Amino acid sequence: MHNVVLTKGVPDFREGQVSFDEEGHLERGKTPTVMNPNDRAALRAALGTRVRNGGTVSLLSMGPPGYKEVLQEGMREVYADDLYLLSDREMGAADTWATAMTVATGIQNLEDPPDLVFAGFKTADGETGHTGPQTAWCLDIPLVTHVVSLEIDEEAGRLRAKRLVEGDIEEIETVEAPLPSFVVVDPEFESTYRRAAHRLEHKDMRAQTRRRAEEFEDHLTVWDHADLNLDPDYIGLDGSPTIVSGVDPIPKAPSEREATAVDPDDPDGMESVVAELTPYAAGD
Amino acid sequence: MVEIDPTDHDIAELGPKIKDVDDADELREMLELEESGEDRAPVKTLVEDRIEKVEDDGEAVDPESVDLSEQTVADIANLVRDVDDTAVLREMLDREREGKDRKTAKEQIESRIESVEGSDEAEGEQLEYVPPEEKHSDLDHPTNDKQWVEGVDGGTYRDMWVYCETQDGELIDVSLEMLGKARRLMDDYNDQYGGDETGDPEDVVAVLIGDDVADLTDEVVAHGADRVVYLENDRLGRFRHRPYTEIFCDMARAGGQLAAEGRESVDWKEYDEPRYTVFPATNNGRDLSALVQGELDSGLASDCSGLYIEDAMISNPAKTGKPGDSEEFERVLHMKRPDFSGFEYSTILCIDKPFRDFHPQGASVIPGSFEIPEPDPDRDGEVVEHEMPLDEAWFDVTVTDHDTLDTGVDLTGHDVVVALGRGIGDAPTAGIELGLDLVEALDDAALGLSRGVITSSYNFAGHVESYVGEQRQIGESGQVVEPDVYVAAGISGAIQHKVGMDESDTIVAVNTDPEADIRDFSDYFVEGDLFEVLPRLTEAVERGELPAALAEADD
Repeated sequence: MHNVVLTKGVPDFREGQVSFDEEGHLERGKTPTVMNPNDRAALRAALGTRVRNGGTVSLLSMGPPGYKEVLQEGMREVYADDLYLLSDREMGAADTWATAMTVATGIQNLEDPPDLVFAGFKTADGETGHTGPQTAWCLDIPLVTHVVSLEIDEEAGRLRAKRLVEGDIEEIETVEAPLPSFVVVDPEFESTYRRAAHRLEHKDMRAQTRRRAEEFEDHLTVWDHADLNLDPDYIGLDGSPTIVSGVDPIPKAPSEREATAVDPDDPDGMESVVAELTPYAAGD
Repeated sequence: MVEIDPTDHDIAELGPKIKDVDDADELREMLELEESGEDRAPVKTLVEDRIEKVEDDGEAVDPESVDLSEQTVADIANLVRDVDDTAVLREMLDREREGKDRKTAKEQIESRIESVEGSDEAEGEQLEYVPPEEKHSDLDHPTNDKQWVEGVDGGTYRDMWVYCETQDGELIDVSLEMLGKARRLMDDYNDQYGGDETGDPEDVVAVLIGDDVADLTDEVVAHGADRVVYLENDRLGRFRHRPYTEIFCDMARAGGQLAAEGRESVDWKEYDEPRYTVFPATNNGRDLSALVQGELDSGLASDCSGLYIEDAMISNPAKTGKPGDSEEFERVLHMKRPDFSGFEYSTILCIDKPFRDFHPQGASVIPGSFEIPEPDPDRDGEVVEHEMPLDEAWFDVTVTDHDTLDTGVDLTGHDVVVALGRGIGDAPTAGIELGLDLVEALDDAALGLSRGVITSSYNFAGHVESYVGEQRQIGESGQVVEPDVYVAAGISGAIQHKVGMDESDTIVAVNTDPEADIRDFSDYFVEGDLFEVLPRLTEAVERGELPAALAEADD
């Protein structure tokens, strides 16, 4: 079983990490890059498959050279055998369709073709949720999205997954698909290790993983557009159907209430706040 | 007489439209219309701000003498648009450097310089097609990317296509919301452009795919479609990525340059592909939108909350083919979406490039963004049953079972909602625990979250992790609540959050930042750290009085 996991670096949106300029625009250069939070679910799913079914895991990303650290972070999460970074100025500023073509080509360029490709559901910066499905479309393999649990029957060469469906009512579907397949993992994905042997394997792998991540560059391959035989007119900004024409800070909400300022150390002030809540206190 | 009646529009559409209105009296009339109509506070603010701006602008600002430090970047962007003299622009650039030295302001001036200089050089030049073999002789040809590109160059495009998603044989709400929006957009479009290039009005086309959809065609027409194209087949009862995408694209290409065998000519369609496509931003709808637009070699914006159509000046050389030159693209769908985890609104455009069309221009729409229109049972529409063979190989993913989930977490209908925001960032797990403590001390309360908490990469300990998810999100893309008391702890108060809670009777904000926006729509503003304030409130609610230590401090 060869598992490929896709990941991406995104600005760290945690409080205190985000920088804005004085117009209220996000300053990407000053905001640190971390692994896309939703990708952790994809990594958990890949790790679960590896623990139960064995095999290898490759981690692949597209982005600037700084994304190497994101791959290292990913390697720490999942026992990755090798890391791939598609990195080239020509690939920069790509929208989802140009990214999907580039990533799909990277996957096709792997020596060992994958049995499963994993991606997380949308990135914290672009938030489109398009790149996974479009990459699967390019690879021309079955696509299963919003997956919350996954089982592989290696002998039959099939997967069984549960997936979330939205609409006016929420539903859960059980689907089956042949391998190779492309799995987009929902943030709510849970992996469980019921058998003791799996739990042990998981533990061993975590320990080895930490050691490997120290020397991650020994396992890293970087490809540019020429390595992948990609025409610069079809990737990056030049190959992207969409552009961002404007970014507006979210307008400030108009003032509608006159707030009473309360100092938390002032009992009188706090008393008035508490008085709003006490009528709703739980009974004994 | 005003040109724009604000009550006909969503706020996201009004923003850009109103920028073209320079007459303060007209704006005042719009304000009155809004007040006597829908009376939406954010719309009124928008109009009032514009009035203020128009009146300020009364005297023309002279770019050569204006104090740039008093202008916002947006003002500067507007100012330089009318300046064609690069000497003046360079002099402005120097003044900005010496003044506030804002990167974004300098970029605006620089890009104007580039565009003025570029347009002199590039004038009259025709773009010449250079075959990729010649342009990139270092690569092997055909290059890997070309295997996926099956698009049109110089094609004909018409109409707005709306994918109407169904569930259990019924249209879901967002499908009707999209039809209403598409109807308004195309009515305006036909007014503004006089229909297509030959003067025929362009249509709203609804697409239905499933095992039981033929019965829905009347409902779709009543909600605004001029034409319904449907395909019904027993195997399509549940959404499947591959067959649904193949069917939608086959419909979209029918009668055009890339039509499949047997669909080269159809009596209901003579253009190559749709001009616009709109999909619901549901799990399945969003997936379908990405696949359809990829297969049609075009682009899209996801999770939009505002759409409008107008011409766009584009200076991006990837689109114009000529660095420094601006080109006007007509009839462009402007797609507005909350971005960067709700920090900003982005406007996304899908624009052709030389020798490669990017049509249809696609969008997916957040459910609840638009109103469901009043159905008109007398509306006429054409119903087309699309026929095509379904390939066995498209059905390699099978659904073996499906089940309805309980309706997640309902935050509405509680006495109190305790909501947490990014202020928990220093100790996210402890923050959730403190919120839950207060919830438990109350009889009928629920825990809510701002979008920021859900999209931040916090690591939560296992026992609180299950509380963190979109099912607890309050705001524009989450739930709308109106409890008796709303406690907003560590929430800065973005406008998208406000729309989810500002109908609450009493709003108590807890925030360390005295300038936090939420102050403007709170009844109490406790300036302090939620990690200290929440436990005090919890203890006070439990005991029926303030913690002893605090009460004694009063003596």
